[in-house]
Amino acid sequence: MVARPVEDRDLHAYVDGCLDTQRRIEVEAWLAEDPASAERVNAYRSQIEQLHDLFDGVLREPATPEMEDLHDKLSGRMAGNDNHRRGLLRSPFARMAAAVVLLLAGGTGGWMLRPPSDPVAVEQQPALQSFAQEAVQAHTFYATDNRFAVEMGGEDRGALDSWLSERLGRRIFGPDLSSSGFRLIGGRSLPIAAGAGAQYMYENDSKRRLTLFVGTPSKAGQEAAFSYVQKGDVSMFYWVEGSIAYALTGRFDRDQLMNITQVVYRELKGRNVPPPPAPAPPPDAAKPPQPGPQPVGDIKRKDM
Amino acid sequence: MSRFGTELEVQISSLRRYARALLRDKNDADDLVQESLARALSRADRFKPGTNLRAWLFTIMHNVHVNQVRQKISRPVEVPVEDHEMRLITPARQETSIELRDMSRALAELPEEQRQVLLLVALEGLKYDEVAAALRIPIGTVMSRLSRAREAVRIKLSNEGGVPLRRVK
Repeated sequence: MVARPVEDRDLHAYVDGCLDTQRRIEVEAWLAEDPASAERVNAYRSQIEQLHDLFDGVLREPATPEMEDLHDKLSGRMAGNDNHRRGLLRSPFARMAAAVVLLLAGGTGGWMLRPPSDPVAVEQQPALQSFAQEAVQAHTFYATDNRFAVEMGGEDRGALDSWLSERLGRRIFGPDLSSSGFRLIGGRSLPIAAGAGAQYMYENDSKRRLTLFVGTPSKAGQEAAFSYVQKGDVSMFYWVEGSIAYALTGRFDRDQLMNITQVVYRELKGRNVPPPPAPAPPPDAAKPPQPGPQPVGDIKRKDM
Repeated sequence: MSRFGTELEVQISSLRRYARALLRDKNDADDLVQESLARALSRADRFKPGTNLRAWLFTIMHNVHVNQVRQKISRPVEVPVEDHEMRLITPARQETSIELRDMSRALAELPEEQRQVLLLVALEGLKYDEVAAALRIPIGTVMSRLSRAREAVRIKLSNEGGVPLRRVK
């Protein structure tokens, strides 16, 4: 089959992430052959980054009193006046967390829509909520750092997984997201309220970054629905699987992030990471070709 | 707060960022956002829940902006001289690198119709058909303006990048 010729509009759609997988691969093949187009694509991507660098500060500015007032009126008029709940949800994060919209239906593996959760229930999950908040902070802090984005590179996946597993006291791994166009660039461990957290960082060809934050907040243990939160243009899905909580965060819209979350979830399920036997298991040192971990020995951390 | 309220809050942040990038001046931008929200409030009954809130708000903001521009042309606002001077010497934000300063200038030099499309796509992440709806232009026009804007900025930045190289030598 001969691919359609790559046109100007394809290059833009490629940069803006609007192509389906098939066409994306065709465009990538074209770019490999055509340096002039590749240069344009790179330039357009830098423009996106620079625009965010220039103007994202506005997202953190407090709203003017007029805006607050208009927001409340609009919100009340358009969605039924529920402002009496406001007192419960003072903190900006609690307000974000109230935007819970999705869950993975247990057993069926299917995604379905759920009405917004009761904000009170959100309030009762402080551990998970604090985990999610830490995940957002860690993302915002490190994803924008070009020099020290990761503590350890992702070239040797086994060594990275093994080191982070050791830090967490649980066997964890960074899933393969290449089917979504993301490659693992590395990871770091961080102190969080409930012990240690691990952050895996991914990047796509547009240099857009995604982090998977993994931790064991004390409330983890019961499976939790997928929760979606958004602050500014940063979106996050977080959920609990076994004793481990996960948060996938990036500057993507909800649909884009949801697609990637499904891949992450399937990868994690596919690898079927077992609960840690005692004493601590030998860390998973290499990514096995088949689902199911195959410990092959204790590989020490390699420093970058 | 309702899920709608939270989503609205997110969209308002986005409108503010776009308005600031479009107009540069903080007060002008916040005025535009506030007037747009007031207009949205007066038309709240026409919004269908579950439809695209973002596209709806950006469409309203574009209409308000068009009206504001018309009014300014027909009835110029008198601004005290010292106020005007202050705006001229105060940068829109702390721009730390030469690269960002050049980007900022290249953006300002674009015709507004191209700047709008570039900002809606590259900064706000609107889909092409959302941009077409918000600006009330055909999607082909969105694509051609986007293409011209990106090329103009690219060429401008690559030329300006050459200047310091020559100076260093």
